[in-house]
Amino acid sequence: MPTNDTGPTNDPGSLIRELQEALGASNVLHEPEDLVVYEYDATIERSLPDVVVFPATAEDVAAAVRLAVKYDLPVVPRGSGTGLSGGAVPIKGGILIVMTRMNRILEIDADNRVAVVQPGVINLHLQNALAEYGLLYAPDPSSQRVCTIGGNIANNSGGPHTLAHGSTVNHILGLEVVLPDGRIVRLGGRVPDAPGVDLRGLFVGSEGTLGIVTEATLRLVRQAPATRTLLAIFDSVAAASEAVSTVIRRGVIPVAMEMLDQEIIRIVEPRIHAGYPLDAGAVLLIEVEGVPDGVAADSAVVEQACRDTGAREVRSADEAEERERLWEGRKAAIGAIGGAAPAFYLLDGVVPRTKLPEVMTQVLELCREYGFACGNVFHAGDGNLHPNIMFDPTIPGATERVLELGGAIMRACVDAGGSVTGEHGIGLEKRSYMEWVFSEADLDAQRSVREAFGPADRFNPCKVLPGGHGCASGHASEVMQHLGAGSYV
Amino acid sequence: MTASASADLGALRDVLKAAVAPGSERDVERYDIDGATPGAAFEPGNREDLATLVRLADEHGLAVVPQGARTSLALGRPLAGYDLAVDLGGLRQTVEYVPDDLTVTVEAGRRLGALQAELREHGQYLPIDVPPNDDVTIGGLLATARPGFWRGHLPAARDLILGIEVCLPTGGTVRSGGRVVKNVTGYDLHRLHTGALGAFGVIVEATFKVAPYPEASRTLVAKAPNLEAATALALRTWDASPVLRALTVLTSSAARLAGLEAAPQVLVELAGAKRAIDRSATDLASIAPFVDAPAGAWGALRRAQGDSERTVVRAGVAPTATRTLLERIDQAGGTGWTNIAPGAVVAILPEPTAEAIESLRSEAERLGGFLQVESAPAELRRQVAPSPGDTVLVEALRDRFDAKRTINRGRWGAVL
Repeated sequence: MPTNDTGPTNDPGSLIRELQEALGASNVLHEPEDLVVYEYDATIERSLPDVVVFPATAEDVAAAVRLAVKYDLPVVPRGSGTGLSGGAVPIKGGILIVMTRMNRILEIDADNRVAVVQPGVINLHLQNALAEYGLLYAPDPSSQRVCTIGGNIANNSGGPHTLAHGSTVNHILGLEVVLPDGRIVRLGGRVPDAPGVDLRGLFVGSEGTLGIVTEATLRLVRQAPATRTLLAIFDSVAAASEAVSTVIRRGVIPVAMEMLDQEIIRIVEPRIHAGYPLDAGAVLLIEVEGVPDGVAADSAVVEQACRDTGAREVRSADEAEERERLWEGRKAAIGAIGGAAPAFYLLDGVVPRTKLPEVMTQVLELCREYGFACGNVFHAGDGNLHPNIMFDPTIPGATERVLELGGAIMRACVDAGGSVTGEHGIGLEKRSYMEWVFSEADLDAQRSVREAFGPADRFNPCKVLPGGHGCASGHASEVMQHLGAGSYV
Repeated sequence: MTASASADLGALRDVLKAAVAPGSERDVERYDIDGATPGAAFEPGNREDLATLVRLADEHGLAVVPQGARTSLALGRPLAGYDLAVDLGGLRQTVEYVPDDLTVTVEAGRRLGALQAELREHGQYLPIDVPPNDDVTIGGLLATARPGFWRGHLPAARDLILGIEVCLPTGGTVRSGGRVVKNVTGYDLHRLHTGALGAFGVIVEATFKVAPYPEASRTLVAKAPNLEAATALALRTWDASPVLRALTVLTSSAARLAGLEAAPQVLVELAGAKRAIDRSATDLASIAPFVDAPAGAWGALRRAQGDSERTVVRAGVAPTATRTLLERIDQAGGTGWTNIAPGAVVAILPEPTAEAIESLRSEAERLGGFLQVESAPAELRRQVAPSPGDTVLVEALRDRFDAKRTINRGRWGAVL
């Protein structure tokens, strides 16, 4: 690690000047009215950065990091700010490095199925650019219209198609990153399985605590020649959950198996008109792809499995427009909830697929017990739950109870052999839950990793691991300290 | 290589022997590596004994080499110390298998073949093919992460791993990940351990995502006039079929090794639903005269790649750049093949020299890729073995997990 010859300095004016010299004055924000825009992400956590910078190159990022070292300030990376665990909130202030200016697709090598991009590229923009080559980048988080590739890498993001294609880490060949000491290094390469320790695999999903991605080399896949989307309608979540296991048991892995429960259907259908029956207990959206004959064979298995487990109707669509309409309800669900309740708390937990019926029953019982409406729209094929607890934060005590309920649901996931996040990350939100999943020795090993990359309080302090100097001690206090009336949770 | 604590080893052996279950000690002659025999060898029958052995070794400065099927010991640099062989064969249980969850948790010493047989009873498999064959252990295949023919079409070990338990030199065990198929809780240390050659601990247990065993598979082959034409055909084939499980260009000598006509060949494996395979085979027949070939061709190539008596290198370059390397290998009298999707060029070199390997590596690097020596005599590996990547980071990690370099000392080089 480079040492700071002169020791930390606390003069904010000289920090601003040095950042302006390094990155250009227009790429440095420091006025309070500018900083306030960057005090939160898609959670309720709020904390002002000391300064916000917009680098254009890896060298800019490295310069900002070196200044953070010099002034002994934290560094927090940020993409579009769509994170759902508080990962981009500068909880201890410091330099917020916003990567949205580094938004160029540097190369699409269609013949070798590789793309090289800057981290600020929007996921959907990349997908659109790849479409003309008949290629796609498989990770497709629901926020793909706004989220960045860099943010996806930080969180090892998933999406509906993770079931067949895997999460982000399975699609990253190489990274250029700036480390906490300001060094620019490359991890991985343009082809897989390079000799050496797989630091690339470790870095993906590290939530901005080990460094900042400044360039990513992505593995692309060819679009399937045929795709079919099926909508299976069930009377209950339990029956739909059983259908998910039955499909898998019969040897078919669809590319997606998404569930919407009755509460969500009743919110989504009047707004989106996707064709979901309002009296359904749950619907499953299932997608299969491949050569046309294979799609026909797999679809037949899926349809029969759904009927055998109680589906009262199974619809299917082959044409893009028709398929898109079936998907529209799923993709718009979260937004629709926002229009149906004053506030809602979107949870992310994961359980073994076979435990879905049991845990879903628990989730609904817990919500009833706590007196909150709860809609579930989630990646059933992966056992990745997303309960959305709806509430009115202006009612005294409601937010506290919602947070308590969220904790109880996470606990149920862990007790069922699952974990506290399948794709949203730990961030600030779930640090204190880490102790439910890991022993102190396990957490010490993770702390060792963090220390090997640099001082633990330099990059995204108070994220991922519990404890830490000056970090709040528990979930409730971390969440509550920045909660305001009417906040979106 | 020397035993690092040989003077004391006699007494230490008794200490080790007394600390674990009776009957765990093994004949050291069975554990020779590169001509060196360890001072002691044990096959612990449980995790506690494994942890005890590793901890005591660390305390007393012994160099430990964990081993399973002993099929990839010629990967990496020659050892810088070898006092204690720890055979993981005693830890070979399936810990948990839930077919409906598509997950399986196994101990490190379990053989891949035994695991596949168990999974097959439920119509599933771990979609990994590694050289030389399914005798490899789970711990070994993870620690070495050697890709096979299915790489690029199916997920690799580093993609399929969901969680891990490792034994640290300090004697404790630590876990990362979990037993669910989608999980971003904490750092993915299980990916760090995959391919790390034991640098950060001894793998004790791992959880994988498994897959349905395909309804059918079919091997096809098409002859080409030369490697340029064969590579071009393979690239077209890559685009033409979504049910590929392997796609390989063979030099004439590799084709002979695979039991095929000695000519440049494109060898293809399709796997999936039978209707999809039949349709895909028809599609491929329209672009080249593909004919059915014996599935045993793959096994022959896999065994050759995993034969640690041979000098085998694996390069990685962009798929479209593989022809250059393959032609060069062929012209030098080597036996080679290209797995198109991952851009992996494998070569068995007849009369290897450090200069020849370095020259091939330079060419791979000029093409934007890398070269790894998968097996070679110790002296050759000493001269040309690969670097571990960013040495500063790897050393910082190694300092925290194995400060005394107890495990596989020297396999990543002198400092590591």
